[in-house]
Amino acid sequence: MPNSVERELTVRFLESAKAAGATVETIQKSPQELNAALQKATSGDESILLAEPDYLSPALFDLFLLNKRVVTKPTKEQLSAITTGVTDAFCAVASTGSVCVSVSRNLGSPMSLLTRRHIAVVDAGTIVPRPRDIFSGESAAPDGLKRSFSFITGPSATADMGPLVVGVHSPGKLHIIVLE
Amino acid sequence: MGNINDYKISPRQVADKSSEGSLYDAIRLALDVETDALRLNTQTFNRNRYKAVQKIDDYDALKQRAREIKEESIENLPELVGRITRTIESRGGHVFLANSKAEATDYITKVCSSHRAKLVVKAKSITSEEIELNHALINTGIEVAETDLAEFILQVSKEQPSHIVAPAIHRSRESISELFKRNFETDLPLDTGEELTRFARDILRKKFLSADVGITGANLIAAEEGAILLVESEGNIRFTTQLPAVHIAIAGIEKIIQRKKDFGTFIELLAASGTGQSLTSYTNILEPPIELPVLNLNGRSDEKREFYLVLLDNGRMRMRQDEDLKEALYCIRCSACMNSCANFQAVGGHAFGGECYTGGIGGAWTLGTSGSLEKARFAELCTGCSRCVPNCPVKIDIPGLNTVIKNRLTKAAGGPSMQQRFFGHFAELARLAEAAPGISNRINNLSVSRALMENFAGIDRRRAIPPFAEKTLVEEYRKYRRNGNLMNKNGSLRGIILFADLFTNYNNPEVGMATVRVFDKLGLPITLSKLFDDGRGLLSQGLIVKAEEKARKVAAYLGKLIDEGNDIIVAEPSVLSMFRRDYGRLLTDEGLSKKIAEHSFDPIEYLNGLVINGRLELMSQLKKGLSSRDHVFYHAHCQLKTIGGGNVAPEFFRRTGLTVEVSNVECCGMAGSFGYKKQYFDISKRVGDDLISQINAAFSADENTVVLANGISCREQIGSEISAAVYHPIQFLETLLV
Repeated sequence: MPNSVERELTVRFLESAKAAGATVETIQKSPQELNAALQKATSGDESILLAEPDYLSPALFDLFLLNKRVVTKPTKEQLSAITTGVTDAFCAVASTGSVCVSVSRNLGSPMSLLTRRHIAVVDAGTIVPRPRDIFSGESAAPDGLKRSFSFITGPSATADMGPLVVGVHSPGKLHIIVLE
Repeated sequence: MGNINDYKISPRQVADKSSEGSLYDAIRLALDVETDALRLNTQTFNRNRYKAVQKIDDYDALKQRAREIKEESIENLPELVGRITRTIESRGGHVFLANSKAEATDYITKVCSSHRAKLVVKAKSITSEEIELNHALINTGIEVAETDLAEFILQVSKEQPSHIVAPAIHRSRESISELFKRNFETDLPLDTGEELTRFARDILRKKFLSADVGITGANLIAAEEGAILLVESEGNIRFTTQLPAVHIAIAGIEKIIQRKKDFGTFIELLAASGTGQSLTSYTNILEPPIELPVLNLNGRSDEKREFYLVLLDNGRMRMRQDEDLKEALYCIRCSACMNSCANFQAVGGHAFGGECYTGGIGGAWTLGTSGSLEKARFAELCTGCSRCVPNCPVKIDIPGLNTVIKNRLTKAAGGPSMQQRFFGHFAELARLAEAAPGISNRINNLSVSRALMENFAGIDRRRAIPPFAEKTLVEEYRKYRRNGNLMNKNGSLRGIILFADLFTNYNNPEVGMATVRVFDKLGLPITLSKLFDDGRGLLSQGLIVKAEEKARKVAAYLGKLIDEGNDIIVAEPSVLSMFRRDYGRLLTDEGLSKKIAEHSFDPIEYLNGLVINGRLELMSQLKKGLSSRDHVFYHAHCQLKTIGGGNVAPEFFRRTGLTVEVSNVECCGMAGSFGYKKQYFDISKRVGDDLISQINAAFSADENTVVLANGISCREQIGSEISAAVYHPIQFLETLLV
């Protein structure tokens, strides 16, 4: 059972992420539930990019990996053509609804960049209250803070052309699956 | 509004403000074709910023921490440069310290050439504008694609940024649509924001996929970890740093701080203060060269990632040695100072800015990096209204910096102009005029004298000169007390002194007398001080040394009064702001300036404090029959807001049961002497439009609305556009008392 602090952070995280323009859902942490959620979220996709996880146990993705549409070692062409990318996040932030995705040896960052839709999977236990708290050393990620990473807060957006437009260079859609 | 795409002057032509003419032309350009988009966009940022900082529960403490980190970093800058160099080099990256623009551009073009670069994708970087990097790259035969959509627009329109965070903030969707239609041959629709964005996105996606080198700036750099912070919303910085194998970051040396964990202090402040978000879409923290494998989507076969950090001095170490300009090095380039600036909202950075640095902070940066005082001339557009001060996340005294620039410009010009003398030496003028106020007023407003004043002192003839009163406050007060209106002593309270400032004394004695009568009626013993020039006029003209002299005299006098157990009441907020804020800088005796700041009050603020502390019972002293149907419109003086007194009068009058509507403009636009100056009359009026339309809306809702404003110049500005009288809040309070 999640403790009450984690529960409260999760509730705040979900609210903030929605306010930032992401869609969110909460599921139980199991390969079955995660597979079901990802299948549903990607039902319209012919191919899906999946990055090796930064934080979550790779076993959580085992069932989803059985799916033939899932590409984990993309060619250059696949990397720039497939429109949905699934990554985990090593950490998330309650006050802003941000998910933190590493820029590292796995291809999580380009998969959440070149695509039109990013699906991020995050463990509720890694949510911290504020952005600055991930630097405090209490971040739940096992090897601490990643060397290079992005706080991703909602979809890409611009107001440079006048009105606010969602979806610029990087994904215009961000879906976050929180594992409790 | 004219058409920005056809306008007779291009912003580039007037970017260099070395001549006065270019400043005035730039103002004309901004008011003719840019002001509508500017006001809409800056005011939206500003509103969102107020909301966003409210959500940071320890905002003040966070600002203080950010300030301390920056002070410490600038103090230790030489060591930090050494540290970052060792850190990056130990990881196989390269660091180059460029002393000048030319050194920086030479190095970057050489690096690009060594990687056989044909196409560079570039993220937004004001520092790259400072060194005119695109120009240098293009001259070497390298194509540069600006990938931030605003910079993309400016690359097409050939304009310089009008804002350090949103460089195309002066352009409406319509003007961008027209610009694209003229410059691109396409069958694609180019009308809505979505269509324009998609069009630019598709062009830039191809550039990202074929670029050889990516160039970014850096919001901050951490020396110990060799980490850089890059904040964005569009994703173009992620593309620029991840797709090409070669990444060059160009940053001013002042961006270096000690530790990566201190980024935590800045990221929330940057997002909230800049665009008014909790975080922008992407806050990237990289330790380059990044571990991400080379993608080579561009068809190259680069084997490893290369990273080059170019640290730019270009005047910064000189700024660090300059007691005044050093302050500007703390800037984190959030843009809060320009979004909260009424003048900037009206004219933007093409007028209120130089070749790359814009707004209130832009003057110090232009001077510091170009070494040219004349180029920083646009600092004159800072009225000293001080609204940027509480909104700066690193607590920079931006009006103070601009006063220094005005002061140095005056020295360079060989002394103050007629205009500066006129406004700076109001005390002497007023004393002369007061010998025969009737004649003075008549002369002041004769068309022949107005023509002379306009020609010799640059006082716009369309402005009415505030009349000199028949009897000064000092005279009125003596007469009043002589006529037996004795003070009703209340022994338990501190003594109260009304400060006789120049404006209240010569122009608005009725405000001073209303204060005296109200305090008398409420049983609060009040006496009038000696008449003093507090130095406000001199300071606003950049005449710092003379202002310091005045400040020292006034402070010695007030210090003594306070030591004897008195509090000081100041009816004119620009003078109160001198006591509460500027004297801290003008006086060397810190204890004295602090004492004066703590013991000086706006009259309503003082009364409100007594009510809150239970030392004054207000309700029984009010006339019967006041109701929430009685509608008050209140405009708080800019400087009063900054010193924390902006909400007091509304709170106080709501206590009495009245409905109080409050203006949401940062400044009325008159800003003391600013609006009287011929060269700035049009800006002043444009800024005033927002306030006037709010007041007119209040009158439409209730024709009996009472309009209140604390500042004499606010009352002049409002009074020049509406027919109803405008009162100081203390005058209105007098009408409510039994």
